[in-house]
Amino acid sequence: MTATTERPAPLNPARPPAPAYKTSRRAKRHAQAIATNKPSTLGYVFLVVVILASLFPLYWSFLIGSGDSSTINRQDVDWMPGGNFLSNAAKVVNDPSVNFWKALSNSIIVSTVVSASVVFFSTLAGYAFAKLKFRGSKGLLVFVIATMAVPTQLGIVPLFIAMSQWLGLSGNILAVILPALVSAFGVFWMTQYLSQTLPDELIEAARVDGASMIRTFWHVGVPAARPAAAMLALFIFIATWTNFFWPFIILDSNNPTLPVALSLLQNNFFIDYSIVLAGVLLSTIPLLILFVVAGKQLVSGIMQGAVKG
Amino acid sequence: MTTQSLAEDREIRRITFSHKLNRWDMKVSPYLYISPFFILFILTGLFPLLYTAYVSVFDWHIIGGQGDFAGAGNFEWVLGQDKFWVALRNSFSIFLISAIPQVILALIIAAILDQNLRAKTFWRMGVLVPYVVAPVAVALIFSNMFGDQYGLVNNALGRIGIDPVGWHSQVLPSHFAIATMVNFRWTGYNALIFLAAMQAVPRDYYEAAMLDGANRIRQFFSITIPSLRPTLIFVIITSTIGGLQIFDEPRMYDTTGAGGASSQWLTITMYIYNLGFGPAGGGQFGRAAAAAWLLFLIIIVVGLINLAATRTIATSGSRSSK
Amino acid sequence: MSKSRRTTAVAAIAGAAAFALLAAGCSSSATPGADDEVTELTLATFNDFGYTDEMLAEYTELTGIKIVHNKAATSGDARTNYFTKLGAGSGLADVEAVEIDWFAELLQYSDKLYDLSNDEVADRWVQWKTDAATDADGRLIAYGTDIGPQAICYRSDLFAGAGLPTDREEVAAMIDGDWDTYFAAGDEFVANSDAAWFDSSGAILQGILNQEEETLESTDGEIIATTNPVVEDAYNTVLDASPELSAHLSQWSDDWSAGFANGAFATMLCPSWMLGVIEGNAPEVEGWDVANVFPNGGGNWGGSYLTVPAQSEKAEAAKAFADWLTDPEQQLKAFVSTGNFPSQTSLYEAEELLTVTRPFFNEAPTGEIFSDRSAAIEVAPYKSVNYFPVMDALQNAITRVDVDKTQDADASWDQFVTDVEAIG
Repeated sequence: MTATTERPAPLNPARPPAPAYKTSRRAKRHAQAIATNKPSTLGYVFLVVVILASLFPLYWSFLIGSGDSSTINRQDVDWMPGGNFLSNAAKVVNDPSVNFWKALSNSIIVSTVVSASVVFFSTLAGYAFAKLKFRGSKGLLVFVIATMAVPTQLGIVPLFIAMSQWLGLSGNILAVILPALVSAFGVFWMTQYLSQTLPDELIEAARVDGASMIRTFWHVGVPAARPAAAMLALFIFIATWTNFFWPFIILDSNNPTLPVALSLLQNNFFIDYSIVLAGVLLSTIPLLILFVVAGKQLVSGIMQGAVKG
Repeated sequence: MTTQSLAEDREIRRITFSHKLNRWDMKVSPYLYISPFFILFILTGLFPLLYTAYVSVFDWHIIGGQGDFAGAGNFEWVLGQDKFWVALRNSFSIFLISAIPQVILALIIAAILDQNLRAKTFWRMGVLVPYVVAPVAVALIFSNMFGDQYGLVNNALGRIGIDPVGWHSQVLPSHFAIATMVNFRWTGYNALIFLAAMQAVPRDYYEAAMLDGANRIRQFFSITIPSLRPTLIFVIITSTIGGLQIFDEPRMYDTTGAGGASSQWLTITMYIYNLGFGPAGGGQFGRAAAAAWLLFLIIIVVGLINLAATRTIATSGSRSSK
Repeated sequence: MSKSRRTTAVAAIAGAAAFALLAAGCSSSATPGADDEVTELTLATFNDFGYTDEMLAEYTELTGIKIVHNKAATSGDARTNYFTKLGAGSGLADVEAVEIDWFAELLQYSDKLYDLSNDEVADRWVQWKTDAATDADGRLIAYGTDIGPQAICYRSDLFAGAGLPTDREEVAAMIDGDWDTYFAAGDEFVANSDAAWFDSSGAILQGILNQEEETLESTDGEIIATTNPVVEDAYNTVLDASPELSAHLSQWSDDWSAGFANGAFATMLCPSWMLGVIEGNAPEVEGWDVANVFPNGGGNWGGSYLTVPAQSEKAEAAKAFADWLTDPEQQLKAFVSTGNFPSQTSLYEAEELLTVTRPFFNEAPTGEIFSDRSAAIEVAPYKSVNYFPVMDALQNAITRVDVDKTQDADASWDQFVTDVEAIG
C-alpha cells in the first residue's frame, strides 16, 4: 500500500510500518488490545499487587482495632480479625473526653468549606496564570511556588497571634478555616493542568465569538478544569480532615476536629491501640464514602466536549 | 456623503467604546482573577513568613520573647551545629530513597490506570486509600511493623533466615523504613495527578503512533511523557519541596520525636521544630527561624536543579520522535 | 524568709504581675485579681489527673463557678501548647497543669506565672516538692498534685522459674541495700533464666541520678554534667551492668511495650504511675507483683503541678480553685481513681490511702508500699533550666550503647560531651 503524504512520518525510520494485514492470530489479538486500550494481564497483576500493598496497613489496623489492648504486642499474628471492633468503636464514640459527634460535624464543615474555597480560588488564579498574559505573571507564579518552600512549623506562633489576639477566634472553627482558604499548591496544580490541557485555540475561538473574559472562563476554562478540580477538592478535603497540629493549638477539647478529639484516646502512660486504631478507622470511614461519590467524577474525567468541541 | 460619514462615525464610536471595554476587560481581568487568592494569602500565609524572617535575626526565646538583635548570628550558630548537617544528610537521603522510586512508580501506575480497565473506579480509588489513613495511624502501623526486636518485618525476615535488621538503631535502614512510609502515603496521590493529566492527552496521538507500529512502551516515552511536561514539572517540584520537608512520618517513627539517639532519622524540619518547640533544648525561636530560612534556600536551589532536569527529560522525549 | 520581708516581696511581685498582665495587652474591664464577677474558670490538664466531671461539679456547687475542662493527651502536647500560648501572650487556661520534666524550664519565666504563695497551704506538700516549685524570688508558683515514689515491680513467675523467692517480703529482703545488691540479685537471676533482669538501662540511670543532690547542674546553675564524677560513675555503673542484665529496650518504644507481654524482663523500677502502664501493656500476664523496696531506699520519678498563668484575668479565683483541687480531700479521690500518688503529706497517714490494694499486682498493698517509699526519699536532685536537655543527651548516650549498639561506652561518652557543649 502506498502511503499518502498526509500520513504522519513513521516514528522510527529504521522500522518499516506494520503491514496492512495481520500475519497471526496473536498479532491480531495484540493489535486489538492496543486498539481498545485494554491492559495486559501483567498490568492487572501489577495493579493487584499495588492495591494489596495499599490496603494491607488498613487491614492490619482493623485486625488490631478488633482485638484488645495486647493484640498489637502479640508475636504470633492471627490474621483473622477478632470480634471487638464494634465494641471498641462504641468505646471511642462514647468516651466522655472525645466529643465524637461534635468533632465529626466540625471536621465535615471545615473540610467541605476549605476544599470548596481552595478549588474555586485556585481555578480562578490558575486559569489566569496559565492562559492569560499579563505583566508580572511569571514572577508572581514563581513567588507563589517559592512560598511553599518555607517550612510551616514555626508559623504556628504568628498565626496564633493573628487568629487569637487580633481576630479573637480562639476555640472557634473559623480559626481553622480561615488560614486554609487558599493554597499555593492548589494554584500551582491548576496552572500546570490548564496550561497542559486547555489549548489556546479554544479560548481564541470563544473570544472571537465575542465572549467576555468572565464568560470565556466560565464556559471554556471551568469545564476544562473539571477533572483537576475534582482531584484537588478530594486532596484538600483529605488533607484538611487529617490535619492535627494547628487545630490542636487553636481549638480546645470541647470544640475539636476529629484528629484532635481522637488524640485524647492516647495518653502518656498507656496507649490502648485497639481503641486508638478503632478510632482511626472510624474517622477514615467518612473519607471512604467520599471516595465512592468523588470517584465517579474522576473516572468520567475525559473532557471530550471542551477539547474537541 | 455627510450622512454616510455621520453614520460611520457613530458606528466607529460604538465599536471604539465596546472595544475599549473589551481591552479594559482583558487587561484587568487577570489581576482580578488572581487577587482573591493573593489577598487571602497575604493575610494568612505571608504574615507568618515575614514573622519568621523577622524572628530569625533576633535572639528570640519562645517565652522570653524578643531579645537583642543578632544579625547573622543565628544563621552562623545553626551552620556550626553538627546536628544541622546530620539532619540535612538525613533529609536528602530519605528524599532520594523515596522521591525517585515514588515518581517512577506513580507514572507506571498512572499509565496502567489510564487504560481501559474493568471496574475503573475501584482501582483508581484503591490506590488513593493510603492517603486517606491519618498520618498518625500510618506512623503507628509502620513503626510497629519495623520494630527492631518485636516487629512484623524482622519476624518475617527471621522466618526466611535473615538476621534482624536494626530498623530503628541503624541510619540507612531507618531511612528505608521511613521512605517506605512516605511512599505508601504519597505514591497513589501522585499517580492520580499523573492520571488526570494523562486522560487529557488526545487519543489521536496514540492512534497515529499505533498505525506506525509503535508498541505501548514506545508510545509511553514518545507521546505520554512529553505531553505530561507541565504535570511532570509540577510533581517533581512538589515532591522536592515536600520530600525535603518531611516531618510527620519521621517524627512519629518513635514515641520521643527526637529522631533517634544518634539522630539517625532526624530530618531538617524535625530539627527546626525541636529547636523551636522541643522539650529538650527547645524554645530557641530565633535560631529555629534561621534554620527554616536556610532550608528554604536549599529547597530553592534543589528545586531549580530538578526543574532543569525535568525540562531536559520531558523535552528530549518529544525531540526524538520527530 | 521573715514574714515582713515576704509580705513586701509578695506585694512587689503582685504589683509586677499586675503590670505584666496589663502590659501583655490582655486587658479587659475586669481588674486583675478581682473575682466578684467570675462565673467560669478554665482548667487544662493532660493524661488523667483524676479530676472527674463529678468532682468539678462539686466545686460549682460550692462556689457557683462553672469549670470548663480542656484536656491534652500527652504531656508533650500540653507543653507545646503551654509554651506557644505563653509566648503569644494569651490563650492559656486559668489553671494549667505542668509536668516536672518541663517545669524547670518554665521556672526561668516565673514572672509570667501568678504568685500562689499562701501561708495556709505552705505545709501541705512534701518539702522537696514545694522547693522545686519556688522561684528565685521565693514565690511559690505552683501547687503540687502527684509525685512518683519508686518501688520495684517484679515478675514472680519468672523469679520462680529461676529459683528466686517470690513472696513480696522475701524479694524486698533480697534486693534491700544499694545498687550493687540489686545488680547482684540480677546476676543470680540471669544465670538461671532466659529473660533479662531490668527493662532499660536509661531507667536505671535516672534512678541512680535521682538520689544525688547535685548531678547535671550545680546549684549556681552551671552545667557540670561532663565533669561531675557522680555522673560519670553512674554512667559507667549502668553500662557495666547492662550487657548481662538489660533487656536492651528503650522505654516507651513499641518494642518496650511488646516486651511486657513477651516476658523480656523480670523487674523494673516502678513509680506509682507505672502500675497502670504495666497492667495495660500485658493484661494476660499474671505474675506481676510489687515489692516494698528500692536500692538506697527511695527515689522520685515524675510528678505534676498546677500553675496559674499571669495572663489569666481571673487569677485570684484561679488560685482558690487550684488550692481546692490540690487539697488532700480532692487529691485522695484522684488517687483512688487513677493511682497517681498524692504529694500531700497529711494523706500518708490516711486510712483510705494505706488500705488501697491493686488486684492485678497480686493484691499488693500499693498505698502502704508507696507511702513507705515516699518517706524513704531523702534527696531531691537540683533541676534547673538545662537539666532536661542534658539528661536527654545522657540518655541518648546510654541508648547508643545499650539499645542501638552503634557505639561503645567511651565513644558514646565523648559524643555526650560534644552534645552538652551545644546546649546553653
